[in-house]
Amino acid sequence: MAAVKETVDQVGELEAYKHGFVTDIEQDFAPKGLSADTVRFISAKKGEPEWMLQWRLEAYERWLALEEPDWAKVNFPKIDYQDSYYYAAPKDPASGPLSLDEVDPEILATYAKLGIPLREQEVLAGVVGAPKYAVDAVFDSVSVVTTFKKELAAVGVIFCSMSEAIREHPELVRKYLGSVVPVSDNYFACLNSAVFSDGSFVYVPPGVKCPMELSTYFRINAAESGQFERTLIIVDKGAQVSYLEGCTAPMRDINQLHAAVVELVAMDDATIKYSTVQNWYPGDPVTGKGGIYNFVTKRADCRGDRSKVSWTQVETGSAITWKYPSCVLRGEGSVGEFYSIAITNGRQQADTGTKMIHLGANTRSRIISKGISAGKSSNTYRGLVSAHPKAKGARNFTQCDSLLIGKECAAHTVPYIEARNGQAVFEHEATTTRLSEDQLFYAMQRGLGQEEAVQLLVNGFVKEVLQELPMEFAVEAQKLVAISLEGSVG
Amino acid sequence: MSLSTALRTGDLAELPSRRDEDWRWTDLRGLIRKIPPAYVYEGTGLAPEIMVEGQAGQIDFYRSPFNANRTVRVSNGMVAGLGLKEPGPLVFDRHDPVIALDVTNAGGGFSVHNRLTVRVPHGLSAVLLESHAGNGDHVVSFDLDIDLEEGASLERIVLVSDHAEAIVVRQSSVTLAATASYAQTVLTTGARRQRLETRIAHPGAQASVRLDGAYLLEAQRHADLTTVVTHGGVDGTTAQLTKGVVRDQARGVFQGRIVVERGADRTDARMRHQALILSEKAEIDAKPELLIFADDVQCAHGNTVGALDEDAIFYAMQRGLPSDRARAMLTAAFVGEVIDRIEHEGARAVALAWAQQQLGEL
Repeated sequence: MAAVKETVDQVGELEAYKHGFVTDIEQDFAPKGLSADTVRFISAKKGEPEWMLQWRLEAYERWLALEEPDWAKVNFPKIDYQDSYYYAAPKDPASGPLSLDEVDPEILATYAKLGIPLREQEVLAGVVGAPKYAVDAVFDSVSVVTTFKKELAAVGVIFCSMSEAIREHPELVRKYLGSVVPVSDNYFACLNSAVFSDGSFVYVPPGVKCPMELSTYFRINAAESGQFERTLIIVDKGAQVSYLEGCTAPMRDINQLHAAVVELVAMDDATIKYSTVQNWYPGDPVTGKGGIYNFVTKRADCRGDRSKVSWTQVETGSAITWKYPSCVLRGEGSVGEFYSIAITNGRQQADTGTKMIHLGANTRSRIISKGISAGKSSNTYRGLVSAHPKAKGARNFTQCDSLLIGKECAAHTVPYIEARNGQAVFEHEATTTRLSEDQLFYAMQRGLGQEEAVQLLVNGFVKEVLQELPMEFAVEAQKLVAISLEGSVG
Repeated sequence: MSLSTALRTGDLAELPSRRDEDWRWTDLRGLIRKIPPAYVYEGTGLAPEIMVEGQAGQIDFYRSPFNANRTVRVSNGMVAGLGLKEPGPLVFDRHDPVIALDVTNAGGGFSVHNRLTVRVPHGLSAVLLESHAGNGDHVVSFDLDIDLEEGASLERIVLVSDHAEAIVVRQSSVTLAATASYAQTVLTTGARRQRLETRIAHPGAQASVRLDGAYLLEAQRHADLTTVVTHGGVDGTTAQLTKGVVRDQARGVFQGRIVVERGADRTDARMRHQALILSEKAEIDAKPELLIFADDVQCAHGNTVGALDEDAIFYAMQRGLPSDRARAMLTAAFVGEVIDRIEHEGARAVALAWAQQQLGEL
């Protein structure tokens, strides 16, 4: 009950969207619009080698030939790709991440306000034995700082921004970039390949268990700009990593595009745990004006035998969320997991889920999805589970539950199951209901207010997924669940 | 975009393809390279009467599984007993509310398209015993519109034995007035490509639907059971159960969609699809969808795909049954659940015998 109390207090203190402020700093922009020159500009800004520029230009050419998809259950006015900035960076950072002392104090203040520890001592200042986590902070199109790099390098773990990786570890980047999500995989991934700005690069060498949680914090600050992050995580044989990702943006009336690509590669016996707390600005709850379009391609390639990738996502923000973190289960006995909470309120729209593609023998996957729709929002679970002829003994269990709060919201479940193998076993179950009146009545009879009672029940509904999050994220996520649902009852 | 439009216009571009979301697993455009000519009857006199079973050599292969006082026959696209060119609606009557509808297609190389209307008047409980059979590589499009007036109820049992080379799309569209109820059981053995689609709309209140089906496929046969149930009125119920058994290189498809529109409160909808894959190379594709726009609802779906339970086989063998027998018994029990839900006793017995024969062949 203490957690509920805390949640309620938190709601009382906060506005609906507490990350909606703008940091007033001077910024560098690419000229507005998208052309081959924009691509060259971005590449030049980042001091990239020729091969990277060519890769981008090729992606741009392919993107021009692609058609924007429209199959998702989301509605939005056509995006004018020429009416946006594709590169925005705090003015004059020397190319490459800086030492903390050189970072604009305004930016540091921003991260402090967001509660992200960029000073290593701040992380350490807490309770003795508190878990450490390294942070890569991405501000619009550039990574401003990456913490704990030395400590990580001591065990051979590479954790840096993508731009730095292209300069310092080109052999790894060339080998793996685009190997999980090919350049022309889909419209938005292709756009990202042409104009991607920054993101994180992680390499964990064989047998190393990454000594701390790695995390990236994405912040969109500039107006009328898009953010195109690119993250690549490679975990070698027998290694392990846990990676967290958080996102926020200011409140603005104009929609902004966030088209990211995240690629994970897991070798034999490797384990990757990837957690996301997505809290982009959701737009005005009444008019639906503004907010982020979150069109993201996330995919893990379980190349090695017995490798394991676990995606956990808490999706509370964005005007429109359109993403399917997926696992290609190639290695024999590899395991894919997907735990998701997607909450939509106001006029938000979400079409999210996962793909579990069983290619190897004895591969296993598990999908737990909890969707909550409130207000006038629409929330769709869309997922694919497939077993190919060689995936003998493949197993999947899927559970997706939807909760409806209010008369005007919508909840959809659209699973695809393709079994091309006589020895695959797939199970899927889904339910859609509203909050139980009886349970609400019971909780209120025990003295809880209506809002508290709803939060208690909702927290119970999503508990299975919250448990999968790393501790400090779980607490944050629980609060976020409460805030996202504020004003949805009564 | 539909097969019937393509047959009418001869335009291949009208054929649904795998790029159309609702046809992703039942591609027609890649399969039909040329629209076969419409069937032309070249005899004299009342063509449909000539086609009645036993009188025309070409449909001797077929013996209708059902017996009813009133039987409507459709042979190679021609309807007997309802007027030749534009058959009027088939209306159930109070004195004998059971109608058998026998549809046969004999020979190959042609296409046929039919559209029939069935009406169940106010308050009447009726039974439609439908069978489809064919013996050639024809292309068939068959549309059936079923209209249930207030308080009417209809149980429809459909047995489908198409030819392995036939390409068939059958679409039925059912409209339920308030307090009407509809129960359907479709059993099929598939075809080269076969789509059996049922669309049900509940605009009225308190309508209830039972929507069942089973596909039993072997060799390279394909069957696609697609259903769309739209709850528009309050207090509607839908209970849906579809089972599949596939072997060899057969491919079973199930697409079920339940839509609950805004205001359709207290809807209770449940959908279940279960399939057995008995051979290495057989395939099952399923998409059980729930699209919910109202909050006071109870909706659920479940889907399982897998092989027979080895423990159950072991148990049966331990009791002295040979492995083949044990597998047959478990498969029959698996499909039996669908047949047990048929309410009309005579039809249930026919359906059971039909399924046993098909499973025996499987």
